[in-house]
Amino acid sequence: MNGMNGMTARRPEGGAAIHAVMPLCRYAVLALLAAGCGRSDAIIVGSKNFTESVLLGEIVAQQLARYDLPVKRKLFLGGTFVCHEAIKAGQIDVYVEYTGTAYSAILSLPATHDAVLVRQVVDSAYARRWQLVWTEPLGFNNTFAMLIRRRDALRLGIRTLSQAVPHARSWRPAFGYEFVERDDGYPGLLRTYGLAFAGRPAVMDLGLTYRALAEGRVDIIAGNSTDGQIAALDLFQLADDRGYFPPYEAAPVARTDLFTRFPAARAALAKLGGTITDQKMRQLNHQVDVLHRPAVEVAEEFLAAIPK
Amino acid sequence: MSFFRYVLLNRAELLTSTVEHIGLVAVSSGLAILIGVPAGILLTRNPRLRAPVLGLANVVQTIPSLALFGFLIPIPFIGGIGARTAIIALVLYGMLPLIRNTYTGIASVDPAVREAARGMGMTDAQVLWIVELRLAAPVILAGIRIAVVLGVGIGTIAAAIGGGGLGEFIFRGVAMVNSAVILAGAVPAALLALIADGGLHLLERRLDWRR
Repeated sequence: MNGMNGMTARRPEGGAAIHAVMPLCRYAVLALLAAGCGRSDAIIVGSKNFTESVLLGEIVAQQLARYDLPVKRKLFLGGTFVCHEAIKAGQIDVYVEYTGTAYSAILSLPATHDAVLVRQVVDSAYARRWQLVWTEPLGFNNTFAMLIRRRDALRLGIRTLSQAVPHARSWRPAFGYEFVERDDGYPGLLRTYGLAFAGRPAVMDLGLTYRALAEGRVDIIAGNSTDGQIAALDLFQLADDRGYFPPYEAAPVARTDLFTRFPAARAALAKLGGTITDQKMRQLNHQVDVLHRPAVEVAEEFLAAIPK
Repeated sequence: MSFFRYVLLNRAELLTSTVEHIGLVAVSSGLAILIGVPAGILLTRNPRLRAPVLGLANVVQTIPSLALFGFLIPIPFIGGIGARTAIIALVLYGMLPLIRNTYTGIASVDPAVREAARGMGMTDAQVLWIVELRLAAPVILAGIRIAVVLGVGIGTIAAAIGGGGLGEFIFRGVAMVNSAVILAGAVPAALLALIADGGLHLLERRLDWRR
């Protein structure tokens, strides 16, 4: 059962869902504000409370430290809204956010598949409304991933969702509840690709769908594209060749005043741009979720391999 | 959307899920009784089995449902995904109160009564059927009542493995962070538990030999 936690770790949260938890988040933020007092002369790095976010927070913190900048960590900060409120209030200076999450959950805009548009909109809205800067994208996109067993992909010689359509008629699908319920999930996927499966999907716990696929109980699932289990269970992600899924590109978001206080921080963060591919992020998550290694250590190793 | 509005709009689906839920609990409780009560009787005949069997039932109780499903998926015939796997899990979770109460009920029958029955020339089977099970009935039924009420509650986990039932609304609501949807699953489940408890309580009173 190793890594069950990792498997159920959620993708960057989605739109409508967030509004229901807003009031709770506000209390959490108030508590946070009350707890941390006053500005310090260090850069405060935040993160959300799931493996990938913590890892990225740790990578950002260690990268800043490599440039001899004073760093403090406030990781595991709850969800998106806690981080967002904290950075607006100056309780943290930088944390890694996903463009799609900012677009749908924070700016409350309807899901779109246009990655360039999403990035432009969040860039300008963040700068205008909160004096926050989106720095270089880290390189990976943590969105829904249609997964099949690698041996099936090799046997059928398919790499993309379009190529999978003729075979899908004999496939049994299993999906998590979120994927089936969301506008940008299951129904739109069928329409976009003209997909049809053998029977209705088994709707079940997201973590269990990984296991059901690996054990041959079903033939296709919708996972998260950076999940460490994809490599561990020898699964294959069918490429979304029609660009159906909305983009969730990760990038550090920083307060504008961070760069006036510590000018070197800009170069430090820019150097991280494009260094983490989907594949790389999977490996990093795998190290923590499946192999249970400390995030600090995994982040150190990662940074040692990229130039300063 | 408010809870009542959601229930009204989705009443057909809710009814189907409620029926599925009752089905899951009925089948799993039935199987659990068929296995658990004889197992409890067996323990009174073979005291050496008592510690390992009750220990195992205790351990099963502590396995988280998602982990249990994870173990069951690869197992041929009884495993996989869907209602069947959910029922296996529910049967396993129902074992402890059934085995323990059956054992305790029979073990606490006054030895003098048992001796008297033997003295009257009853066979072992007659002692069991006419004396022990009859005297232990209230305690065994209390165990059944616990198992069924627990089953209604934990039956909601069937939705984690595609087994249907009222848990579907709960899981869906959690995924959407929508309390109205969660309640649409949780409130009928709670009502079912109360009804099952009340019904079995009446049965228990009728079977109580002390009255």
